[in-house]
Amino acid sequence: MIADEASLARLAGLAQRGDKQAYAALLGAGRHWLARYFRTKTLPHQIDDLVQDTLLSLHRKLASYDPERPFMPWLAAIARYRFVDHLRLVYRQAEDELDADHPALDSDEPAITARISLERLFESLPEAQQRAIELVKIEGLSISEAAASCGQSESLIKVNIHRGLKRLAAIVERA
Amino acid sequence: MPQSTDDLIAGLVDDLEPVTQLRQARGMALALGALVLGTAGMLFLYGPRADLVTGQPDAMLLLSAGLFLVLGLASSWAVVDMARPAVGTRREGWGWTALMAAMFPLAALGAMVVAWLQSRPSGLDSAGINCMRYGLVWSLVTFAALTLWLRRGAPMALARAGLLTGVAAGSAGIFAVSLHCPHNDVVHIGIWHGVTVVLAGLLGRIAVPRLIAW
Repeated sequence: MIADEASLARLAGLAQRGDKQAYAALLGAGRHWLARYFRTKTLPHQIDDLVQDTLLSLHRKLASYDPERPFMPWLAAIARYRFVDHLRLVYRQAEDELDADHPALDSDEPAITARISLERLFESLPEAQQRAIELVKIEGLSISEAAASCGQSESLIKVNIHRGLKRLAAIVERA
Repeated sequence: MPQSTDDLIAGLVDDLEPVTQLRQARGMALALGALVLGTAGMLFLYGPRADLVTGQPDAMLLLSAGLFLVLGLASSWAVVDMARPAVGTRREGWGWTALMAAMFPLAALGAMVVAWLQSRPSGLDSAGINCMRYGLVWSLVTFAALTLWLRRGAPMALARAGLLTGVAAGSAGIFAVSLHCPHNDVVHIGIWHGVTVVLAGLLGRIAVPRLIAW
């Protein structure tokens, strides 16, 4: 059951102050609303991915919610942004597949240098986070392919990517 | 629902830490701080124009600097608000201010056309490029502040946010320059000062979206 607008706004305000119980309730309600929202827009097998991506975005951008405004338009705006991003990704993948017959002839040197720098940064991450980032963000596997490859669940892969990138960003900012 | 979303939610709840809300007032304080910093930097290095020092500013200075200041504040307000998403929100106040500020370049173009028709010099000084150069340099303070604010938030329309960041930054930069620049003629202000805002807007439109995508 979806809670009413005022309750959601209150839960979001509490979540911003670090109330985990309120946050769990908010994410639960948001999850159901998002599933219904994406059901009208995309293929059934893509709904879970979009719901989870939007929940991750909600988590990262929680500070941008203003408790004096309604919660649902905020969530809808984030869902719409993620959906457009998803469409962009799908089209880009289709273009990449068309371009696959024309491999780049450039030198590998910059890629090798970047790889060495990344490996140094990766040393500070737990192995599961390293693996998740490596498979999805570097090797370009989908979440489900990465999950099958390393034995972590799909949601764990997403959480590990989120936590790993957050930690890497903190390390880079400190450097 | 599959079990995996439950796991994700559990992970996110476990990860939750208190966050500081992106309040409009705080964002505007940041934008104002950047404007003051840029203006103070410009005046500290190059000094104010003579009529400001004597306390008798020319009416054209008050009008042009005032318009660019209002345009900078109105577009900053829109940018700050864009960091907090909501479906159906309209932020069009800056557009009317931009339209008012556009009267300067239009009047300058009109004056130049009339001068050309009467075979007189256009009155466009090449030294005005320095106003543009300094304006763009000092606009970087506001540019950086607003971009950082957008990166903390969740802007939806990246291209528009970039354009407005550039307009706000360019207006702030040229406002700072106006307090130093000795020119009072509409051609100089309309062309060189106006072009600074347009250029900054274009630069913002090109550069900012890739900096604030999330």
